[in-house]
Amino acid sequence: MTQAPTQAPTRAGRLSPGLDIDRAVPAMLAVLVAVPLLVFVLFPLSSILIMSFSTPDGLGLGNYVRYLEEPKFVQIVRNSLSVASCATAITIVLAYGFAYAMNRSAMPLKGAFRLIALMPLFAPSLVQALGVLFLLGRNGLINRTFDLGIDIYGFWGIVISDVFYSFPHAFLILSAALAVGDARHYESARMLGATGRRIFFTVTLPSTKYGLMSAIFVVFTIVITDFGNPMVIGGDYSVLATEIYNQVSGQANFEMGAVIGMILLVPAALAVLVERWVARRSFSVIGDRYQPLAIGRSRRFDALMLGYASLVCGGILAVVGIVVFASFATLWPYNMSPSLKHYEFDVQNGLQPLWTSIWVSLMAAVIGIFFVLIGAYVVHKYRNWFTRCLYFLSILPAAVPGMVLGLGYILAFNDPANPVYLIYGTLLILAICNVYHYHAQGFLIATTSVKQISDTLDEASTSLGASFLRTMRRVTLPIIWPSVVSVGVFFFVRSMVTLSAVIFLISPSTQLAAVSVLLLDDAGNQNQAAAFSVCIMLVVAAALILFQLVLRLFGAPAVSLMK
Amino acid sequence: MFLRLRNITKRFGSVTALRGVSLEVEEGEFVCFLGPSGCGKTTLLRVVAGLETPDEGEIRLGDRNLSEVPARLRNFGVVFQSYSLFPNMTVAKNIAYGLECRGWRRDAMQERVAGLLALIHLEDQAHKLPHQLSGGQQQRVALARALAAEPAMLLLDEPLSALDAKVREDLRGEIRDLQSKLGITTIMVTHDQDEAMEMADRIVVMNEGVIDQTGSAAELYERPASRFVAEFIGRMNVLRMAPGGGIGAVCGGPGAPGAPGARRFIGIRPEHVELVGAGGAGDDGDGAGIAVGTVEKVVYLGSITRITLALDDQKLLVELRGKPDGLAHGARLTVRIPADSIHEFEESAP
Repeated sequence: MTQAPTQAPTRAGRLSPGLDIDRAVPAMLAVLVAVPLLVFVLFPLSSILIMSFSTPDGLGLGNYVRYLEEPKFVQIVRNSLSVASCATAITIVLAYGFAYAMNRSAMPLKGAFRLIALMPLFAPSLVQALGVLFLLGRNGLINRTFDLGIDIYGFWGIVISDVFYSFPHAFLILSAALAVGDARHYESARMLGATGRRIFFTVTLPSTKYGLMSAIFVVFTIVITDFGNPMVIGGDYSVLATEIYNQVSGQANFEMGAVIGMILLVPAALAVLVERWVARRSFSVIGDRYQPLAIGRSRRFDALMLGYASLVCGGILAVVGIVVFASFATLWPYNMSPSLKHYEFDVQNGLQPLWTSIWVSLMAAVIGIFFVLIGAYVVHKYRNWFTRCLYFLSILPAAVPGMVLGLGYILAFNDPANPVYLIYGTLLILAICNVYHYHAQGFLIATTSVKQISDTLDEASTSLGASFLRTMRRVTLPIIWPSVVSVGVFFFVRSMVTLSAVIFLISPSTQLAAVSVLLLDDAGNQNQAAAFSVCIMLVVAAALILFQLVLRLFGAPAVSLMK
Repeated sequence: MFLRLRNITKRFGSVTALRGVSLEVEEGEFVCFLGPSGCGKTTLLRVVAGLETPDEGEIRLGDRNLSEVPARLRNFGVVFQSYSLFPNMTVAKNIAYGLECRGWRRDAMQERVAGLLALIHLEDQAHKLPHQLSGGQQQRVALARALAAEPAMLLLDEPLSALDAKVREDLRGEIRDLQSKLGITTIMVTHDQDEAMEMADRIVVMNEGVIDQTGSAAELYERPASRFVAEFIGRMNVLRMAPGGGIGAVCGGPGAPGAPGARRFIGIRPEHVELVGAGGAGDDGDGAGIAVGTVEKVVYLGSITRITLALDDQKLLVELRGKPDGLAHGARLTVRIPADSIHEFEESAP
């Protein structure tokens, strides 16, 4: 018989079996990501669920019945629904036109337009309301100039702010839908003699119906769960997201908070379901005979689209720009001469909240990279019932509005009997909260990057004798690092600008920048609120520029942060 | 025996990819797993490599049980269809990867890499990245990488199917030469019968998760054990056989209606059919093995001419040397099927 060949001596070394942990690794990793998902997503959610059903006489529908019979509460639900429907309708129409111009016309300046359209994503989530106030408020530019006496506080203020707030999300979804167009359909329509208008309604619109549906649900959810803008510009006009805050923070009425939380879960969960359904369906749009649409130049049409896009971007720039401008005005609106005095931050904790925010965002980036990547890796690589559950838990946070998650954290962790109470009130819980608040999107970015690694690269490495860790270090990470960093940047940026969720968890010593903006505005100090917003935007811009520089420096291909 | 597989079964969910496969491979042998896509050949190779764990069965290498040995400790060189070179490493780094995993000394490593580069004639490409090489060059690097750590076996998973026809031809010879020079036991998966016949010492024909037949190219071609093998290796006319009937019955003679149970077929290679003469005449004597048909198609291929002959409701391919005269479409042709070139198959009724 031959010698045992696996033991054949090699000239200088042999494989050390060492600790063959490779087989145990997947299971260990799966558990490693599953545990925090259970603790920081499922447990808080179940706490809200239980709280909403707890009445003095045990579990029951008592809370729901009581609040739904209250006229004031019913009015708030009605307010939320009307704001959300109205803002959704406006946003979708505006964004569809904009996405159409970006994808179906040959207008110039597309890069700049795209950048401007996405700007609201990188600003604290109440800047829109702040900007609208500077423009249309009692002391706003328009009222001061034309003396119109517009009262923007309330319904229309919220609607306008939220249109700006949700615009980039709608644009991204609709743009993806409009980017794919099968030239054959357009050609046959034209050959049959259809006019441009007819083609739009019989070919374009139907072919984007899934994207449209998805955008409608997403925007509706964003608006109905938005907290920052209604807080700033809502005035006496209460909506569910602000009410949940007032009930919990102001009156410690956790039952009512939980009931509102459950109500807010409905549209968000629906939006996620619709998106999943749409994602499965829209694959069929691109068949194997798909012919990409060639965009022809047309002077009149391109000029029209350019005009429209400029108008939309002008609006977005105006809202953000006025905030920047106001932050440099000596005393808005009476003395507009430039001054840096609002950047001295002489009230509250000065600039401390900004540093705190940066610190929390860095922590969220690191924690996010670690858990989200491992999660995406395990789910993609090993398919069994456990990883399917893991996948579900990973994208579940997409259906949980920030306000609801934040409330869940109070209910679940503000309890000395819970081990997590040890970090309650620290910066760590804020970072963790941000990671799990934005877990679904981060997870999807990470999944795309993990998919770049074909299975055979792993197998080639393994068959050459590499352990799991060596494969990670020498093959996997060197290939996917740009996306790894992009996951980190995503969590950093989201953590810098988010307000909901963390609003319930901060303490005076763990004040965050976005919350500071809200408090400064609440205290009537709009100029400093504006200055603080500008600081946040600068940090975010710096992070994004740094990220692009690092990618360029190491010659990595461009990575998109928009998922 | 070098490698011994016993009763290997592998299921993926409700699909059974391998059904109790047993196989033995001799040391130094070049074995091809041949079969249509989905026949289980790649799964079998991956089971040998340790990349799939079989649900049942045993794998032994020499006197060692491999079943419990993970892929990374089996010391098998694997080459994948998609090259799978590490895109972030140079050619030299790719080749050295397995040596690095085994903690080779730097100087020994450099020497070995240089030797391998010479072996695959890519000495001057050592510092290029994989995407700067052609497909054929990449696959040669993959081969060198797999061979670097002196593996106990070489496993090739359709290594040539992603390449252009010309490169594929060249690389066939190169791999075969390398294999015999190193004397390394090799298993290659392919769906290309020419490739298998040209390269392998022994071909393992697989179909639907089982091995249909193993043997040398000549054995498979001359004595196919089943209709599947007969049709997969080369061309084979397969004709229905009347129950109990001889060849005459097949060739348009009065046949009884099919009996229940096993259906019987006869096979004849196109080149074994002999031309008796043009026209319906020439039915001389006993009539055994004589058939008359109508020419349906004539394809002139240079060294041979391939004729499709219609025999009632069946078709017969005939390959004749050179370019015979009088083979116009619609012509009546009399052919003889020599009894000693007939293969008989059974197939259970569906």
